[in-house]
Amino acid sequence: MLRKQKIEKKKKNKKPVVGFYAITGCQGCLLSVLFNEDKLFDLTKLIDIKAFPFIKQLEGAKEFDVVFMEGLVAKKNDLKELKEIRAKTKVLVAIGACACTGGIPAFRNFMKEDNYKHLVYHKAMHLTDMKPTPIDKYVKVDYYLPGCPPDKNEILTFIKDFVLGKKPEIYKKPVCFDCRKEGNPCLLDSGKLCLGPITRGNCGAVCPSGGLECWGCRGPTDDANIKTMMSLLEKKGFDVSHIKKRMKSFVGLKLAKKGIDTYEQEY
Amino acid sequence: MNYVLKKEVFSKFVNSVLKEKGIDFIAPVKSEQNDIIKFQKLISFSDLCLDKNAYYPLKEWFFKKNEVLFEFKGDKITIPEKKPKPKIFFGVRRCDLNSINRQDVAFSEGCWDPYYFLEREASTLIGYHCFEKEDNYCFCGSVGLEDHYDLMFYDRGDYFLVEIGSKKGAWFLKQRIRFFKKTTERLSARKKVIKNANRLQKKNIAPFYDHKNWKKGVDLCLGCTSCNTLCPSCYCFEFKDKVNISNLKNGKRIREWSACQLKDFSEVAGNHIFRSDREHRFKHRIYHQLQYFNEKHGKHLCSGCGRCIRGCPTRIDFVGILNNMKTKKPNVKKPKK
Ligand code: SF4
Ligand code: SF4
Ligand code: SF4
Ligand code: SF4
Ligand code: SF4
Repeated sequence: MLRKQKIEKKKKNKKPVVGFYAITGCQGCLLSVLFNEDKLFDLTKLIDIKAFPFIKQLEGAKEFDVVFMEGLVAKKNDLKELKEIRAKTKVLVAIGACACTGGIPAFRNFMKEDNYKHLVYHKAMHLTDMKPTPIDKYVKVDYYLPGCPPDKNEILTFIKDFVLGKKPEIYKKPVCFDCRKEGNPCLLDSGKLCLGPITRGNCGAVCPSGGLECWGCRGPTDDANIKTMMSLLEKKGFDVSHIKKRMKSFVGLKLAKKGIDTYEQEY
Repeated sequence: MNYVLKKEVFSKFVNSVLKEKGIDFIAPVKSEQNDIIKFQKLISFSDLCLDKNAYYPLKEWFFKKNEVLFEFKGDKITIPEKKPKPKIFFGVRRCDLNSINRQDVAFSEGCWDPYYFLEREASTLIGYHCFEKEDNYCFCGSVGLEDHYDLMFYDRGDYFLVEIGSKKGAWFLKQRIRFFKKTTERLSARKKVIKNANRLQKKNIAPFYDHKNWKKGVDLCLGCTSCNTLCPSCYCFEFKDKVNISNLKNGKRIREWSACQLKDFSEVAGNHIFRSDREHRFKHRIYHQLQYFNEKHGKHLCSGCGRCIRGCPTRIDFVGILNNMKTKKPNVKKPKK
């Protein structure tokens, strides 16, 4: 074998260097990765994990092939860390609702400061030094694995696709598709405010299957018909501001882009 | 020759089939939690629900939601051996019987689908006739249904009149002949007509493809795919390879349901989407159901069961929309495919 070929082969067999990171968030997304308990050993044979907040021994890397980033930018340090990581990462994957769409922490954008400040932030003022936003406001995001929490299988499938050199498949079907496959009754028919029709699926419709309406944690589908969804819910007797609040719970800032007005428009 | 099954022996008949080993009895059952009727393995006679047609169709018993086509180890392929248990499907309405026929056509067109037909061959279809539309969504009378059953039950008050539709049906009945009595009674075609179920007034929808009224439906469509997933006739699928994490060269190829109301349904290599706007997706479903399939196979794909309207979150009534399109439209263009 030629030397060049040998190097090529070595390169080919090299496991991708992967990092898991978290900025402001609850670290539940990273927990979802760990929920693949019985697969973790196999996983370490596929990828070279160089960073994971729960594993103190790992010290990061100079360069990453893939980084899974949990959390959103809510303070100056988040932004600094995010930019540093982006600079040394080939493929950046936003993982979870906070990173992808803003999630619960971004709901602060839709509240009046006087209403919450004295309750939550009086001890942690550093948390209010930036407007909480999903990470793609500041850096390029290559892929999104949404959800609060994200789906553990979706994360594994992504890694398998990546290692195989396949273009990772992004699930575009709405939650209703999953829900109908599960054979559920439609909660809209029983007067519940279900956002399944406009929300990206692949969660297996866990909420509707358990009788709980979909709150839209996985973000809107590419072709979400939000206008019709609004008028349908209005006709069902829901108050407009209630519908908007619900829609904004996990994805408010992204909806603003889609034409749903928010208290603060700019994003 | 027709047969009679007295209502007083009906429960005995069902219970006796339930006790038979090596055979499953699948029938409409109402969920205690949510009132949804689905075809399920019947456990006790009292669970049988013939009040109205099932909310979910029975297609998932034949055209599986997820079907493992084969497993692979490197380039070695093994097809899983499947021996489906014989199943009796009871209480199937005329619309759904026809939808099964349309799926038989679809899954034997060009190539005979072994996965589908293994289940079909293991099945015996026992129909339950409707004499009247079940609700305002039914329009089975407008789409030209045919007889497609092994046995058909007609409710005649204190007895069922039973018609035989196939050798399989005759054999099933013969095995359990002790419950049945021969009769000379026959129902004329006129008596079998399902009343008030011919709501769709148009025979040929081809000239209306570009009609402006479609917009009324299109604007209300959320793209939720309930219409496709609830439809007993829809047969579209996609493939996925699921590789094992312990060795990425091994895994299985799976066939899963798909739906033409999805934007990426018509996406091909190079990211081109053939039906990227909602209007074309919306019309495609209806035209496939009521025109394209007919052009190819001489009968409608749609059996008029009404589920796609009953289960649509915005209740888009495409039948009403079609009915309201006036015939004499000056510049109608030729339908696109
Ligand atoms: S319950 Fe929700 S997710 Fe399920 S079909 Fe209805 S709207 Fe869709
Ligand atoms: S569509 Fe016809 S056959 Fe089907 S349930 Fe309604 S009335 Fe019965
Ligand atoms: S069920 Fe209704 S809203 Fe949903 S995709 Fe079908 S037509 Fe559109
Ligand atoms: S298109 Fe609608 S009415 Fe026709 S068979 Fe399908 S669900 Fe039933
Ligand atoms: S209507 Fe759509 S999903 Fe149904 S069979 Fe036709 S193309 Fe497939």
